[in-house]
Amino acid sequence: MRRWPLGSRFGCFAIVKSRWRLFATVVAGLALGGAILTGLVVPQQTNREESGARLRESPGAGALFGWLGGFRALAADLLWLRMYAGWERRDLPGTQTLIRAVVAVDPRPAYFWINGARILAYDQPVWRIEAEGGFEAVPTERRRVIEVEQARLALRLLEEARGLRASTAAMWTEQANIELNKLGDIAAAAASFRRAWEQPAGPYYAARIYGELLRRLDRHREAYEWLCSLYPKLPPDDEAADAPLVLARIRELERMLAVPPAAAFRSGR
Amino acid sequence: MTTVPFSLTRVGLIAAVTLREAVRQKLVAGLALIACGFVLGVRALRDFNFGAPELKFIADFGDGVIAGFGAVLTIVLLAQLFFGELESRTALTLLAKPVWRSEFLLGKFCGVVAVVVVFCVLLTATLSVVLWQRESALRVEGFATLPAGVGFDPGALWVAAWLHIVRLTVLAAGMMLVACIAQTQLYAIIVGFSGFVVCHLQHVAQGVYSRAGSSAMAWVATLIGWMFPDFHLFTLEAGGAWTFEGVARLTVYGAGYAALALGLAVWVFRHREI
Repeated sequence: MRRWPLGSRFGCFAIVKSRWRLFATVVAGLALGGAILTGLVVPQQTNREESGARLRESPGAGALFGWLGGFRALAADLLWLRMYAGWERRDLPGTQTLIRAVVAVDPRPAYFWINGARILAYDQPVWRIEAEGGFEAVPTERRRVIEVEQARLALRLLEEARGLRASTAAMWTEQANIELNKLGDIAAAAASFRRAWEQPAGPYYAARIYGELLRRLDRHREAYEWLCSLYPKLPPDDEAADAPLVLARIRELERMLAVPPAAAFRSGR
Repeated sequence: MTTVPFSLTRVGLIAAVTLREAVRQKLVAGLALIACGFVLGVRALRDFNFGAPELKFIADFGDGVIAGFGAVLTIVLLAQLFFGELESRTALTLLAKPVWRSEFLLGKFCGVVAVVVVFCVLLTATLSVVLWQRESALRVEGFATLPAGVGFDPGALWVAAWLHIVRLTVLAAGMMLVACIAQTQLYAIIVGFSGFVVCHLQHVAQGVYSRAGSSAMAWVATLIGWMFPDFHLFTLEAGGAWTFEGVARLTVYGAGYAALALGLAVWVFRHREI
C-alpha cells in the first residue's frame, strides 16, 4: 500500500486539517453573515415573546408547536378528541395533561381554554369526590377543599390564556362563573363580570350581573350608580339588553336607598 | 489560460435544463399531486375541527401542507438533481467547457427555486379556490355576514405564499451548501432535514438556553441563532395580520441568508474534487 509522507498535501493529517478548515470557514461565514443579517433585519419581537411565554409553560410543547407549523389546528383537534376519550373514562391526570397539551399546541381558539377550564372546575371535582367514596361519604369540608383546588386550576388556565392570546368576554364570563359558583367569591366574580362587559362585544347580561352582585355585596349606592350609567347605553329594541329589567332594578334600588323623587333617575325614553 | 466572464445567460440555460429535468421527475409530480389532494380533501377533516372557525382551519391546514410538502420537495429534489449530475458525470462534461462552477450551482439553484415557486403558487391557488367555495357555501347556508375574522382574506393567503417561497428559497440555498460539502445523497438529505428542523425550532432553543442561565449556553444559543435562519419568523397564519414593512424585512432577511449560503456553497464547490 502506498503511504503518503506526513504533512504532504495528500497525507491523512492534511485531509483532516483541510476538512476542519472547511467546516470552520463555513461556520464562521454563516455566523458572521447571520449576525449582520439578524442585526440589520430585526426579527418580529412579538413572535419571540409569544414563544417565550409558551416555553415558560411547557418547553416540550413549544418544540412540538414549532415543528407542527400549519398542522397545529388539526393536531390540537386530534388531541382534544383524545382528551375526550380520557374524559369519558374519568382519567383525571390524563385529561389534565391533554388539556394542557391542546392549548400548548394551538393556543388560538378560545374554545379549548374555556372548555378546558370548565372540565377542570366542574367535572373533575365530581370525579375526585366519587373516587374518594362519593358525595355521601366525603365530608363537606373535604368536598370544599377539592372544589377550591380544581377551581384554582381552572382560573390559572384562564389566566394563562390571557397571557398568550387576546382575552375575550367569554373568558372573563367563564372566570366570573367559576369565582361565583365554585369559590363563592362574590367580589372577585363581580370584578370579572365587569371586565367581561368591558371587552369588545361584551354581553349585556355581564353588566346586569355586575350590578346585581354589587347589591349582594351590600354596595347598593355603587350598584345604583352603575345601573344608572348603564341604562342609557342599552338599545331599547334589543331583547338581550333588557332595558326594562335594568330600569326596574334602578327603581328598586331607589326605594331601598330612599332616593327623593326629584333626584330619581330619569330614563328619558 | 484564458477565462470567460461570468454569464447570466449560462446560468439561465442551466436553470432551464434543471427545471425541465425536475418536471420530468416522478417525485415532483407525486408530491404536487398528494399535496393538492390534501388541500382539496381538507373538508373531509372538518368533523375533527373543534377550536378554530372552519375557514381558518382549512387555511391553516393548507398552510401546513404547503410548508411540509414544500420542504420535502426542496430538500429531496435539490439533492437528487445535484448528485444526479455528479454520479452520471454530466457535471464533469459541463464543467470541462467554459462554464464557471458558480454558474453551475446558481443554475441548479434557480431551477429548483422555479419548481418551488410553481409548487407554492399552484397549491395556494387551489387553497384559495377551496376557501372561496366554502365561504360561498357558508353564506348560502345562512351566514350572510360572517363574523369579523372568520371570513378568509385572499391577500393574507398570498402573503403567506410569498413567505413560503422565501423560506423555501433559503432552505434550497442551505441545502445547496450541504450538498456541496456532503459526499453522498443520503447524507445530504438527512443533514438537510436536520437543518430544516433546527431552523424551525431555533426560537425554542433560544428560549431554553436563555432559561438555563449559563453564559456558555447563551453563547452557543447566540452562535446557533446567527448560523441558522429562524423559520418561525416566516409563519404567517392565513388570515393573520401582516404589514408590508414586516414582509419586506423578512424578504431581505431570507434573501440575505440565501445569498450567504450560496456564496459559501460556491466557495466549497470550488475546492471540491468532482
